[in-house]
Formats: sequence, structure tokens, C-alpha cells
Amino acid sequence: MNRRRKRQAVPLDRDASGRYLPLLVAIMVYLAALALAGAMVANKLAARWDSGLAGSLTVQLPAAEPTAEPEAAEQQDPALQAVVDLLEQTPGVVTTEVLWRGEISALLEPWLGEALLIDDLPLPQLIAVTIDPDQPPDLTALRRAVLAAAPGSIVDDHQRWLAHLLDLAWAVEIMAIVVVAMVLSAAAIMVAFVTRMGLAAHDQAIELLHLIGAQDSYVARQFQSHALSLGLRGGLIGLACALPTLYLGRSLLERIESGLLPELSLRPHEWSLLILLPVASALVTMFTARVTVLRTLARMP
Amino acid sequence: MVRFEDVVLRYGQGPEILKHVSLQFDPGSYHFLVGASGAGKSSLLRMMYLAQHPTAGRVALFGRNVAGLTRQETAVLRRRIGVVFQDFRLLEHLTARENVALPLQISGEAGARSNKDVEELLTWVGLADHMDALPPTLSGGQQQRVAIARAVIGRPSLLLADEPTGNLDDRMAVRLLYLFEELNKIGTTVVIATHNESLVQRFRHPITRLVGGEIAAPESSSAAGSPA
Repeated sequence: MNRRRKRQAVPLDRDASGRYLPLLVAIMVYLAALALAGAMVANKLAARWDSGLAGSLTVQLPAAEPTAEPEAAEQQDPALQAVVDLLEQTPGVVTTEVLWRGEISALLEPWLGEALLIDDLPLPQLIAVTIDPDQPPDLTALRRAVLAAAPGSIVDDHQRWLAHLLDLAWAVEIMAIVVVAMVLSAAAIMVAFVTRMGLAAHDQAIELLHLIGAQDSYVARQFQSHALSLGLRGGLIGLACALPTLYLGRSLLERIESGLLPELSLRPHEWSLLILLPVASALVTMFTARVTVLRTLARMP
Repeated sequence: MVRFEDVVLRYGQGPEILKHVSLQFDPGSYHFLVGASGAGKSSLLRMMYLAQHPTAGRVALFGRNVAGLTRQETAVLRRRIGVVFQDFRLLEHLTARENVALPLQISGEAGARSNKDVEELLTWVGLADHMDALPPTLSGGQQQRVAIARAVIGRPSLLLADEPTGNLDDRMAVRLLYLFEELNKIGTTVVIATHNESLVQRFRHPITRLVGGEIAAPESSSAAGSPA
């Protein structure tokens, strides 16, 4: 007897409804994995933008009049030199770096095409400034001084742009968490439904177990261990399907080669969150089955 | 052990199945409950194994009024009661051995020793070669013996049997009633509902006769000594 697999008193493994549960849980876990990965990418994107732009300023000088040799004219521009000098003498400014016309052209070339055409454009002069985040310069005073040195100049601390992007990333994260919560709720509702069907289908066996002294918790254990097994199986299938999808998404993002988008590679703790999804699905199905059985039986005479 | 006081039972708005029944079975006693089909024997037993509450009156088991029991207390009390159901109520997906072991598993007593007890009991009821058989592959008599083994495996304080010999030949019926006597000797209160009056007459135990849901005048079986 001990060599044989122990059979449950309630034959839930023969139920047709139980056969479809792993498939439904797999779909739920698949969606949850994608949503979770989306949230993690959004979080990474926000962190990257935040850290990349915090502690930096961009000073933009108005475009100079087109000349035959724009690069030479730029290097001899007295307004540009005055602003650079001003910045270097300002407390709190760590470095200044002028983006010369050639560098700006290289940045714009992927969007605008031939450099020849770019040469005809009135490009603004840009200075990338690194500031000390602990002792930043007085921005109002700096703006005023830069304007005095080069009328029409703009000192951009990126905060407005960054705030919008961070809001977007935050919204994506919230949406992903809501999707995960909804997926788990849908899974719980489904399990409760399947469990009630199981209780109805096996009412005679359950009545017999009660008559020979079984507590409600004994009956609940039969259902919860079955649900745990189905939930884990479904969760593993769902995760196994989600991983190739995430890999595909990563490959597509890499093809874009955009500096704005982060790398889709996940860190170890992010992987563990994804790997925990089948465990979470198994626990949700187990607890839902247990609670459903106990609540249903408690209402019986 | 079992005490009924002015118990009335009716199902829904139907007629009274049991009409003001009062009885008492003392601990360690052995009773036959006889009566024609529909007299109310099974209903009386159902109340004794706590599957049915009375419409009126009071039922007490082991000195406790069953009306105030919680679900947990009911389960604990049921573990002290062994029941042989008229329709056997075996779990068809479990083997004979697993069916018999079920009460031990439920009460947390399953183990190597209990496995041995199960095997010994099944051997005793003549099912040594059918321990791993599923109930649908067994005959009616064999299923009944599995049901009896399941009822007695936990050495219950109260053993209730509803027509336990209905599908058995006389030899096996007497043999099983002997088993019940052995259990009775070690303190188990035994109540057997049967319509087989000739079998009852072989034993010297009190008989409670139900007629139309009422208890008829007390009597006791006439034959003396052990069954042949």
C-alpha cells in the first residue's frame, strides 16, 4: 500500500473543470508576467531619466546667422565664449561642455538625413553643464546672468520635461500593478467557481466524510492541495510562455537603438519577482479554494 | 449512551416519520431495532449518527444534547460512532483497503500499525484477496463487508448498522453479528436495524420494534445461547 500513490478521499483529479484550470491560470500568469515586466521597465526608464538628467543643465544660445563657414564662426562667437566663462565662474557648476555644430549634426543626422542639409539649418548653440547636486547654483540668478551675456539664451534644467516623463512612467507602473491585481482577482474568482462546482459534484463523498468524523478543514485540505497543484502547474506554463515573449520584446527594443529606451535586461531581483509568479498563483488558488470550501461548508446544516 | 425524549421527525411538510419516540440505550448494551420497511428504523439511526435533527423532542448522545453541538463538536462526536450504511456508501475510487482506512486517516491515526489492523480486519471478513479491489468490482456482499470493516476499524463507542446483513448469506451474517458481539464485549454499544427477524431471534438481546413510526411494546429475543 505504501508503494502506491496516496489517493485523495475526494476524487477531484477526475473533474473536467479541474482540467481547464491550469490553462486559465497559465493565461493569467502570462498576462501578469508581461504587466510586471512592463512595470519594471517603466521603473527602470524613470530611474534612468531621473539619474541621467538630475545634476545637469543645458544652456541654449539662439542660432547664429548662416555663414559660409559656420563651425569657424561658432568657435569665434563672443557670446558663446562669454556664457562659457560665466558658467565656469559660477559656484556649483562642475563642468561645461560646448556641443559644437558637428556634434549636433551627428545627433540630428539619423532623423534629418544628409549633413549637407543640416549645414543649411540655423542650429542653436548648446552647452551641457554639470552641476553639483548637493550645492546647486542659484538658477534664477544664473538665468539672469546668462541672458545678460547672450540675449535670447535659455537655461533649461529639464525639470518640466522630466516631470512629464516621470508621470508617464509612474502611470505605466500603476497600470501594470492594477493589471496584476486584476489578473489575480480574476484567478481567485475562477478558482472559487471551480471549487463550488467541485463541492456540488462530490457532495455525496463529502457528506460521507463528515459522517465518519471529518472536520470541514479535512475536506478543505483535499480541495486546497488539489488547487495548489493546479495553480502551480498553470503558473509554470504561463511563465514558460511569458519568457520567450519578453525575450522577443527585448530583441525588438534593441533593434530600435534609441538612447531614450533602457535595456530590457532584468536584474536578479526582478527575475525573482517573475519567477515568484507561479508560486503566487499557486498560493492564490490554494487559499481561495480553502476559503471557498470552509465558507460553503459553514453554511450547511 | 443514546437517549431520545419525545422525538418527532418529519421531512419538510410531509407526514410524521417518527411519532413521539422515547428510548434509551445504555453504554455497552446491544440492541436490535426491527420493523417493517418504512417503519422509521433508518430515520431513527440517521438521528443517532447525527445526519438528521429531530423536528421536535430531544436527542442526547454520550450525555450531550445534540441540538447545541457546533460543527466541530459534531465531527468529534461522530468519530466515536461507527456506521454501516444500508447502501454501503463506499468511495468507488478508493480500494477496499483505502475505504476501510478512511476513518483512521480522518482521525489522524493512519500509520503502519493501522495498516496492519486494516489488513487483519479485511482478512477476518473474508476479503484477504480483495484488499486492493475497487468497490465496483466487488459483489454486493463483499461491498457490505468492506462497509462493516470501515465502521468497526476505529473501535467506536457506538456502532450503528442499518441492515448490515442484507446482502450476506446466513453463515457470513452470523459471523458478522459475532464480530459485533465481540465489540460489544469490549464496551461498544451496538444498535442493529434489521428486518431479518429470524436472525435476531438467534441472539439474546433486547429488541426495539418500530411500527408506523412508533415504538411498540418492549420484547426480547427468545433464543438462548450463541448462534449456531
